[in-house]
Amino acid sequence: MTDYEAVIGLETHIQLNTLTKIFCACKADSWNAAPNTNICPVCSGLPGVLPVLNEKAVEKAMLLAAAMHAQIQSLSFFDRKNYFYPDLPKGYQISMYEAPLATGGYLDLPLPQNEARRVRIAKLHLEEDAGKTKNAGGKRLIDFNRCGVPLVEMVTSPDLRSAEEAAQYLTRLRQLLRWLGVSEADMEKGHLRCDANVSIRPRGAAYLNPKTEIKNVNSIDAVREAVQKEIERQAREMEAGHTIESWTLEWDEDSGKLKKMRSKETEADYRYFHEPDLLPLHISEEWKKSILTALPELPLERRQRFVTQYGLPEYDADILTAERSLSDYYEQTVKAYGGDPKKVSNWLMNDVLRMLNEKGMTADQLRLLPAHLAEIIRLIDEGVINNATGKSLLEKVQASGETPAAIVAREGLAKVSDDAAIRSICQEVIAENPAEVENYRNGKATLMGWFVGQVMRKMRGKADPNLARAILEELLAQ
Amino acid sequence: MELYAQSAYELTRLLHSRQVSALEILESVLKRIEAVDGRPGTLDPGEFTEEDRRKVHAFITLTAERARAQAQEVDRKLAAGEDPGLLAGVPFTVKDIFCVQGTPSTAGSRILANFVAPYTATPVARMEAAGGVMVGKVNLDEFTYGSSNESSAFQPCPRNPWNPDRVPGGSSGGSTASVAAREVPLSLGSDTAGSIRQPAAFCGVVGMKPTYGRVSRYGMIAFGSSLDCPGPIARDVRDAALMLQVIAGQDHHDSTAAALEVPQYVALLEGGVKGMRIGLSPDYFRIAIPDIQTGEYALQPLPEAFSAAVHRAAAALADMGAEIIENVPMPNTRYGIPAYFVISRVEAASNLHRFDGVKYGYRTSQPVQDLRSLYRKSRAEGFGLQPKLRILMGMYVSAAQYSEQYYRRALQVRSLIRRDFEQAFDPQGEYRLDALLTPTTPTTAFGFGEVYGDTVLMQYADQLTVPANHAGVPGISIPAGFASDGMPIGIQFLGADFTEEKILRIARAYEIATQSEEWRKACPQERQ
Repeated sequence: MTDYEAVIGLETHIQLNTLTKIFCACKADSWNAAPNTNICPVCSGLPGVLPVLNEKAVEKAMLLAAAMHAQIQSLSFFDRKNYFYPDLPKGYQISMYEAPLATGGYLDLPLPQNEARRVRIAKLHLEEDAGKTKNAGGKRLIDFNRCGVPLVEMVTSPDLRSAEEAAQYLTRLRQLLRWLGVSEADMEKGHLRCDANVSIRPRGAAYLNPKTEIKNVNSIDAVREAVQKEIERQAREMEAGHTIESWTLEWDEDSGKLKKMRSKETEADYRYFHEPDLLPLHISEEWKKSILTALPELPLERRQRFVTQYGLPEYDADILTAERSLSDYYEQTVKAYGGDPKKVSNWLMNDVLRMLNEKGMTADQLRLLPAHLAEIIRLIDEGVINNATGKSLLEKVQASGETPAAIVAREGLAKVSDDAAIRSICQEVIAENPAEVENYRNGKATLMGWFVGQVMRKMRGKADPNLARAILEELLAQ
Repeated sequence: MELYAQSAYELTRLLHSRQVSALEILESVLKRIEAVDGRPGTLDPGEFTEEDRRKVHAFITLTAERARAQAQEVDRKLAAGEDPGLLAGVPFTVKDIFCVQGTPSTAGSRILANFVAPYTATPVARMEAAGGVMVGKVNLDEFTYGSSNESSAFQPCPRNPWNPDRVPGGSSGGSTASVAAREVPLSLGSDTAGSIRQPAAFCGVVGMKPTYGRVSRYGMIAFGSSLDCPGPIARDVRDAALMLQVIAGQDHHDSTAAALEVPQYVALLEGGVKGMRIGLSPDYFRIAIPDIQTGEYALQPLPEAFSAAVHRAAAALADMGAEIIENVPMPNTRYGIPAYFVISRVEAASNLHRFDGVKYGYRTSQPVQDLRSLYRKSRAEGFGLQPKLRILMGMYVSAAQYSEQYYRRALQVRSLIRRDFEQAFDPQGEYRLDALLTPTTPTTAFGFGEVYGDTVLMQYADQLTVPANHAGVPGISIPAGFASDGMPIGIQFLGADFTEEKILRIARAYEIATQSEEWRKACPQERQ
C-alpha cells in the first residue's frame, strides 16, 4: 500500500462576543431566545434599511488578526455576496472579498518533540451571520435571531497533515480566542464552526489531489474523527484505483458516519460588489495602536516562556497556559511567593485546578487570591503549619476571603513546636497505653506511627509531627 | 389665495400668527385633493374613463386620519406655547418609496402592495417631528424604475397637471404632480438619475437632489444605493430650502449620511450672486443618443427653447453680478447614461433580492413544489416589467465573466465624470465655478405611451441629470418658462459637494430676477 499523507485545510467561522450585532443594535447573543424575538428591521432585511458597522466587531477582529500575525489593512471594504436562501433575508450577505480586513498570518502549532507546524492563514475577514433554517413536519422554519451576528471567517492554507493536527489546530484556536476575549469559542453552541477540506497524496508529493469538504462538525472530537474517517476512505478509494471526487460531505454525529451531501457543482457566482451602504473601512494607525495595546502575550509564547523562565516541564507549562487567567494566576503567585516556581505549579495543578473544576470557575473568579496561595506555601515552608493544614486552608480562604494568616491565628492552626507542650502530651499517651508501649519496646517499631498519630489527634493536628516523633522516641527508649 | 395654494413658508407664518390652525390648512388641502386628484392608483383599476383622464392621480394611499391627528397635535402644541417645529402644520406628500410606520409602503409594485412598514424613514420622521403633516403616499414608477410613472403597478398613474395627456415625468411623478396641482406645497422625492429634477422640470416645480450623504437614505427602498438621494420638491426655492433644512443631517441609521453641520439654508437664501462664477458647458447643450444597431453616438443639439431658457437665466444672473464662464468642458457627460445603465442595475438586482415571497410582500398563490419555484413564481408574478429588466441586466453585467468588461468599466467612467466636476469646481482650478447652469431635460413632458416601452430612450430623458448622481454633487431644477407646446421648461444648477446653500441662493436669485415675468403667472389648468 502506498504511504499517503493527508492534506487538510480548515475553514472556520468565529462568532465574536460583541454586545450587539454587527450592523444593528440587537443583542448579538440569542442563546435560549425564542425564534425571531431578537430581530429588528435591519437584521431581518426589511425594505429600506441600512447597515451601520459595529466598531467593536472590527476591534475584536483586529485583535484576532494581530494574534494570528496577519497584516491588518489600513483600507478594507465590505462586499455583497449575492445568493438566495430563506435564512438570508436580504438575499445577500455582507462580507469581505476583494479587500479583506487582514492578509497573511499563521499559527505555529506545537507538535511532539518540540517541533511545530506552521499553519498559514489564507483568508481572514469580517462578515455577518445568516439565520437558521430547520425542517419540521414538512415545513421549513426560519429563525432570524442569528442574522447579523458578527463573524470572522478564517481559512487556513492546506497545511495540516493529520486528523490529530486538525484537532490540535482547533484546540489552539479555541484557546487563543478565549485568551483574547474575542469569542466564547464554544463549538457546541456554534461560536466556533469548522468545515474541513481533506485530500490525500503519496507522502512527499508536492501536488494537490481533489478534495472533499466536510461540513457540520460540531466539536473538536468530531473533527478529528470525521477527518480520520475521510482520510481512510480516500486511501481505500485510491488503493482500489478510484479517483476522489470533489464531494461535499456531512458529518452525522449520531451514527459517526460521513454522508454525501452533494457533488460539488461549478463554483457559484456570488456577483460580489462593494457594499454601497457602508463606507470603506479605514483603520488608522492610532486606532490600530489603541486596540493592539490590549493584545496580551499569546498562549504559545507564554507556554514557552514558562519553560525557559521558570524551568517548568512542558507538561506543566501547557496546562498552566491552557487558559489565560490561570496562567496569570500562576505568575502572580510565583511573584508573590518568591520561591521555587515548580512548587507553585504543583499547588496549582493538584489543588487549585481541582477546586476550579469543582466550582466551575476560572482562576480570576477565586476569592483565594495568588497572594493568599503564596502565603500558604510560605507558611508551610517556614514550618508554621503543616502540609495538611495548608491544603485545608485553600477552602477556608476561598470560603471566607480572609487571609491565611488570619485564619491560622483565629483557629489556632499553627503547628505546636513548643517542646514542653508536646512532651507532656507524649507522656500522657505513653501513660494511657501501657500495652502498646510494651509491644513497641518488644520490637514492634512500626507502632511509632501510631503513637505519633495519637499525639497529633490529642493536639488536633497542630503538633509538629517530626518533633513529636523525636520526643516519643526519646521517652520510649527510657 | 386659498390655503392649499399657499407656500409652506407662508403657511407656517399664518399658523404662527394664529390666523389659521393646522387643521384648517389640512382640511383645505384634503378638499383640494378630493377635487382634483381623482381615484388613487390601484392594482386592479378597471376601465380608464374620461373622468380619469382629466384628474391628477398623484396618490396611492391617502392618510387623512393620520394627518388629522398630526395637525391636531400641532394645534395643541401651539395652544400650549410649545415649539411646534419648522414645518408646523405644513401638509406634504411622500413618494411611496419611503417606509412610513403603519402605512402601506408599496414602491409602486405588486410585490409590496400588501407591505405595511413597521418603521419610518428618517427624512419622513424628521418632517413629522418638525410639525409637518403627511397627507399620503404618492405614486411613482415601479421601484422608481422609470421617467414617466407609466410603469407603476398602481393605475391610473399620475398625469401632468399642465396637460393631462402628458406624463408628469418620473420617477417622483406623483410627488411633482401633487405639488404642481396645488394639492400640497411639499413632497419628499428620491433621485437616482434625475428622478426628482426631471419630473420637477416636467411639472414646472422646484426639485432638488442634495449631495449624496446630505440626507439619510434610511427607510427609502433602495434602487441604486450608491446613487439614491432623497430630496425636496416644492413650488418655490424658499420652500425647498426650508424642507432641506429639516431633512438634512447625520443619521445614526445611515453610515453614508455625512457628519457635517447643516447650514441655515433659509437664512442664507437671499445672499445674492454677486461675484459668483456660474459656468455653462457645451456638453449640456447637446444630447448623445446611441444608434441601437451600431452603438455609435449621434450628437443632437437641444431644442432651441431649452438653450434659450438657459442663456436667458445666465443673462439675468449676470445682471445681478454673477460672472458667467462659458465653454466649461464636461466631456464625460455623454457616458453618464451607459455607465448608469450598468451600475444602477447591478445595485438594483442585488437590492431586489430580498423580495422573494418568503418574509413579506407578495407570495404566489399557486401551488409550489419546492423553494425555487416559490421564489420563481412569486417574483415572476410580483415584479412588473421594469424590475425584471433591471434584474436581467444587473445579473448579466455583474456575472463573473462580464463584470470586468461592464461593471468595472462603468465604475471607471463614473470616476471620470466625477473628475469633470472636480475640475470645474476646483477653487484653484481653471474654472473655479460656484455652479454649473444647464437645462434639466432635453425635452418637455412627453405624451403617454410615446416613449414608454423603449427603455433605452426613456433612460435618455435623464441624460442631463444623471452626471450629478454619478459624481454625488447636488443639483436643483427650477422652472424657467414654457416651451411652444405649453409645457414647462426646467433649468438646473449643479454645485460642488455640500454646497446646497450656494445653488439654492443662485436659484432664488433667478426667481427674484424673473418674478415679474408673465410666464410666472401661469397656473396648471384647474380640473374640477
